[in-house]
Amino acid sequence: MFTRRTLLTSTIAMGAFAMLGTHRALAQQLTQDEVFNDKDAPVLGNPEGDVTVVEYFDYQCPYCKKAHPIVKKVVETDGNVRLILKDWPIFGDVSIFAAQAVLGAAQIGKYEVALEALMKTKGKLTHEDVESGLTDAGLSMTEIAASVNKHKAQISGLLDRNYNQALAFSFAGTPAYVIGSSIYPGVLDEKGLVDAIAKARKTRKP
Amino acid sequence: MRFAQGLAIFLSLLSLVGAGKAQSASLPLAAPLQMDEAFRPSVSRLAPDRIAVEWKIAPGYYLYRDYLAAKSKNGSPIELETKAGEVKEDPGFGTTEVYYISAQATLVGWAETVELTYQGCQDGGLCYPPVTKSIDTATLEISDLVRAPPTTAQSSGDPTSSSVWATRNAAAPSFALAADSSTTEVDKLLAGGGLPLLIAGFVGFGILLAFTPCVFPMYPIVAAMIAREGERLTPKRGLILSSTYVLSLALAFGLFGLTAAWSGQNLQTALQSSAATAVIAGLFLVLALSNFGLFEIQLPAVIGNRLSSSRRLGGSVAGAAALGFTSAFLIGPCVTAPLAGALLYIARTGDMMIGAAALFALGVGKGIPLIVIATVGGKALPSAGAWMAKVRTVFGFVFVATAVWMVSPLLPDGILLLAWAALAVTFGMYFAGLKVNRDIAAARVLARSAALLFITWGALLLVGVGLGARDPLAPLEPLRARAATVEAATVAKADFRRIASTEDLAAQLTAAQSEDKASLVYVTADWCVTCRTIERSVLPASEVSAALEDVRLMTIDMTSADPKLEELLRSLEAVGPPTMIFFDQQKQEIDGTRLVGDITVDSLTASALAAGNQQP
Repeated sequence: MFTRRTLLTSTIAMGAFAMLGTHRALAQQLTQDEVFNDKDAPVLGNPEGDVTVVEYFDYQCPYCKKAHPIVKKVVETDGNVRLILKDWPIFGDVSIFAAQAVLGAAQIGKYEVALEALMKTKGKLTHEDVESGLTDAGLSMTEIAASVNKHKAQISGLLDRNYNQALAFSFAGTPAYVIGSSIYPGVLDEKGLVDAIAKARKTRKP
Repeated sequence: MRFAQGLAIFLSLLSLVGAGKAQSASLPLAAPLQMDEAFRPSVSRLAPDRIAVEWKIAPGYYLYRDYLAAKSKNGSPIELETKAGEVKEDPGFGTTEVYYISAQATLVGWAETVELTYQGCQDGGLCYPPVTKSIDTATLEISDLVRAPPTTAQSSGDPTSSSVWATRNAAAPSFALAADSSTTEVDKLLAGGGLPLLIAGFVGFGILLAFTPCVFPMYPIVAAMIAREGERLTPKRGLILSSTYVLSLALAFGLFGLTAAWSGQNLQTALQSSAATAVIAGLFLVLALSNFGLFEIQLPAVIGNRLSSSRRLGGSVAGAAALGFTSAFLIGPCVTAPLAGALLYIARTGDMMIGAAALFALGVGKGIPLIVIATVGGKALPSAGAWMAKVRTVFGFVFVATAVWMVSPLLPDGILLLAWAALAVTFGMYFAGLKVNRDIAAARVLARSAALLFITWGALLLVGVGLGARDPLAPLEPLRARAATVEAATVAKADFRRIASTEDLAAQLTAAQSEDKASLVYVTADWCVTCRTIERSVLPASEVSAALEDVRLMTIDMTSADPKLEELLRSLEAVGPPTMIFFDQQKQEIDGTRLVGDITVDSLTASALAAGNQQP
């Protein structure tokens, strides 16, 4: 475990080192633990799973939303995968608003309901689209707003960390995946995802 | 260049993890290009004030029409003319206008530097974050806008978590103030018992504050005023004079509060400028010289000469009022918790009368011990006699001491120590030469002891000057410090990182968060009397250094204020120095930890531990 952690850390550090000299300090701080075990990031799939899939995504990124049912299906079928969806809002204010709202909902036990509601939306969103998406799924914007305000430090902290990690990985955009000790920029189809999980599992148990 | 670099890194990543083929084998699409490879902008001039931008877009990539935007360097939007794009309609996509292969936009309007933002995707694969380029409209040169570090990156259009929810809901800056930060003493008292309780409460706060260094300059002023009455002094007269002084002081307090709230300015800064301090210190010196008999002025008459010539007694009262009003300049700027509470209350609710009433009550409270002393003193002191002249001389020394004490932040330590030494030796010599009544043995002994004491202290101070001491109460400190340099590290003002803007604060808090540290923001200023006390006797305590060990220390120095500092203070809802604000590891201020005014070792330690132990 220790050696793999070191490996990932040094890979990340190397990548970020050459790419973003200015983010050197940041990259050196990034560890596997921060990427896979952020205490504020909700975990889907099997929390005890032996492989972790981390996806950096945006609620307005069409390919993230299109690929989401596939990601869910693969994780469910496998049964032994932890899935962490990390918000990396790249489409401006509405994306940040959506991310904050869903993370606020998570604090009142409605993470999956809120997440799935927004993943079902189409393309570009307005603040109103986000709100109606959430209320149509039976959620109360008043409760969500209260929760976001109550946990704003925690939520902002998580979003800041996600953003810093995406930069440290030099991801080109969303979606981007970290699976085991490999990174995958761009959408993965079903086979790609299954293969990536298998490979992560193989390197984990040599 | 960048792409090659990216590719090299990508390959090194793959070889390191032994997954050479995973990427290409599993992806239906080629690995996404770097943003600058996928979208290549160029600029040409159509007319003096029209510039065209054209993007060459790699096949399989597209730009969004909706996300094209231009602004000038200072943020004002510049109009962009764009053509209709291709309508992309897709069940998973919604309807959007996008450009394939190439895109054009025309800048209508003018700015020296145009910041152009655009955003796009690899079709079916990945969406890029927005990118902003800077265009020099004179040379038509395109350059990368330097990417600001994360979390302060809003200016470059990068997403950050702060402030967006704020546009939809209540204010949410990058840090969170305690929920109780808007519940001032005024709110609490008003809620508890209405206006009468508020007034009573603030009188009470004032009485407590009457014994802090903030209020210290009031005592020599009032004492001198009373002593000058000489044989006319009676308890009644002492009561009238001191009450007039105090009421006038309290009135000035109330007016200052109103002005501060009205103008939104930090009056403290204006009042406590070096010039104001020097002028007031000069006034004390003049008073001192007069007391030494160099020339004759009636203290109240300094201001109310005409009044006193016609009606002597009335003149003294008017003088007392004038003195009281001006004294508010001396002691008003000392920030204390109740004062901060009243000012914040006015600023928040706009309820001037309540706030001013609270400040007036605070001023009255501060003066009550003075009134008591003046009244009792008027009764206790023997009236008339030769002793009066001696008392005047002693007050002269008190005035000089007050003047030195006031200018101490303006003088280098060595000069200051020299001044104290000169004062101590002179005072000692005065006692040595004092002709006391030979019949009273005690008086002789007292005078000689005082002489010996002050001359010795003066001599020690002179030694201290030679040793480079700083503290007049510990002139031999350098000797001790040399003997024990390996003692445990203590906290000093130098350990605090200076922050000067809200951006600085955000960056420091983020740094603290990434180190999993709590933070302390200490508002101070050279002219802040209470701050000096804190720096001398609270910060160096070993309990404090233990409690602050894992805390990121920052200071906001208001010695010379500027608009950015004022804005920073406002964003923290702080009124002025001394204030200490504690944030936990999540940039959240903890309820009940903020310290304003009189800060002690115990209160500082308790707040630091409370902030440091907050783990969500």
